[in-house]
Amino acid sequence: MKRSFSPAPITLLVVACVALLAAGPLVLPPFYVRVGQLMLYSAGLGLAWGILGGFAGYASFGHAAFIGVGAFAAGLAENSFPTLSPLWLLPLGLLAGGGTCAILSAAVAYPILRLRGTFFAIAMLGVSHVCAELTNNVDFFQGSLGLNFPPIAPSAMEPADFFYWLYLAAGLIVLLIAWQIRRSRFGAGLLSIREDEDTARMLGVPTERYKRLAFVVSAVLTGLLGVLYAHSLGYITTDSVYRDDTNLSLIVYSLLGGMGTLFGPVIGAFLLVFITQVILARLLDFHLFATGLLLVLLVLMAPGGVLGLVRSLRPRRADIAPAE
Amino acid sequence: MNTAAILQVEGLSKSFRGLKAISGVSFAIAPGSITSIIGPNGAGKSTLFNLITGYLAPTAGAVRFKDRPITGMATNRIAELGIARAFQIARPFRDLSVRENVRIGALFGKAGVRDVEATTRRGMELASLMPLADRPASALTVGQLRHLEVARAIATRADLLLADEPCAGLNPTETAAMIDVLRQVRSSGVTVLLVEHDMPSVMEVSDRLLVLDAGTLIADGPPHEVAKDPKVIAAYLGTPEVLS
Repeated sequence: MKRSFSPAPITLLVVACVALLAAGPLVLPPFYVRVGQLMLYSAGLGLAWGILGGFAGYASFGHAAFIGVGAFAAGLAENSFPTLSPLWLLPLGLLAGGGTCAILSAAVAYPILRLRGTFFAIAMLGVSHVCAELTNNVDFFQGSLGLNFPPIAPSAMEPADFFYWLYLAAGLIVLLIAWQIRRSRFGAGLLSIREDEDTARMLGVPTERYKRLAFVVSAVLTGLLGVLYAHSLGYITTDSVYRDDTNLSLIVYSLLGGMGTLFGPVIGAFLLVFITQVILARLLDFHLFATGLLLVLLVLMAPGGVLGLVRSLRPRRADIAPAE
Repeated sequence: MNTAAILQVEGLSKSFRGLKAISGVSFAIAPGSITSIIGPNGAGKSTLFNLITGYLAPTAGAVRFKDRPITGMATNRIAELGIARAFQIARPFRDLSVRENVRIGALFGKAGVRDVEATTRRGMELASLMPLADRPASALTVGQLRHLEVARAIATRADLLLADEPCAGLNPTETAAMIDVLRQVRSSGVTVLLVEHDMPSVMEVSDRLLVLDAGTLIADGPPHEVAKDPKVIAAYLGTPEVLS
């Protein structure tokens, strides 16, 4: 709906960026391929989070729940079929992880989406911690013991390169889904929910159904990314997938890039991962302090994130329009 | 009850912990009319609107819209049937432009096929908002926001518009403009149910007046007859000179 950029140049820019990113593993040293992996994975997560948190304004502080549930569901499913060819393992894992996240999110959506604002955010943190505790303490899930994931990368390919491209493809798919949602009637409905939920309902927006749908889509995409993440780690425990720093980062990506925008989470994820992993990583303990300081400054000085800053520098059509 | 009525309210009551906000209110609204509900503050006018739009559930009684019971239905379902509401305290989507606000109404609202862009434009034209189409809602004046409320409600292609004090707090010029908009809404085929305090406007624009006092309907009829009703004068209008 917002036509700040015309569609054709932005499509070209995205294609160029994707082409550039795709060439990454061919030219970058291994350390940067790993950083790139993390950037792409984080961008995908940020986009998935943004469908609910950005578009509908329901900022979740517990999306790591779906990373963890997706990862463990996939691991348990794949380990129950040890004879399956590696070619079929990832699809099986994705099906199990995505399906479990769909069921879990649909089940918690009804009570939890009645909460708004901070209450919703904190309730999601609760969901994340409950899932983590269950995974850790119920023997069936093997959360404290850990789960092994069979290697899935083709033998001809460096696993790091393989996962880099896998994250790139996954991130692109999530971007396309988010883009389609944003330009649809569903997306306009989510936007109206973010702006004023009661008014939206009064105008005929099926707010309850839309919120639930956005929640499930966001959760399933997050869970699928969690499945990929688990494979790239090769071995997971509860602590490696249910991470509170992920819970926090997902909000920060959107804040940093531009809350509620399509590309905001991508820009935020790229920036934050690059800054923490490359620029500040050498500063050891100092880097957490510096990251925190940077965030505070950014939120204070550019509350609309990077995209908000760019927009504020461009003249608005509305300001030029005649007064009456 | 009149089956030709677009809206029928039958014995509607609402109590808040024993306090009767509305008790046993019945009336029917003819299609294509402008009906005003008047009454002193606290008479139950806003509660009545909240009951019709499904924002509140009644304690007793029923609401029928186009001969369909809508009592207790979800607000968004009622909107899908063709009832829209313009709020007294305007509730625009502040981060969106005027056009985007109206477009949300056009995208949702009454069920059925629609031409979103044409409906959006028609809503803005009707409320004289075309020159402000690209302005953010947060930059509008109180009067312009009231127009936006009406434009967005009309864009839902509703058959019945509930307008909650659209003239409150407006200056005489703005009030006249709003009355003009409401007349145009009616001539476009939409039935209007109006809550309004500005008596000259009400007398001028209404086909019929309903008077609420302490939650009950005390008068119902053409404006000038109702205005002469001693009960009404006692309850609300004060001295008859106010109307002359």
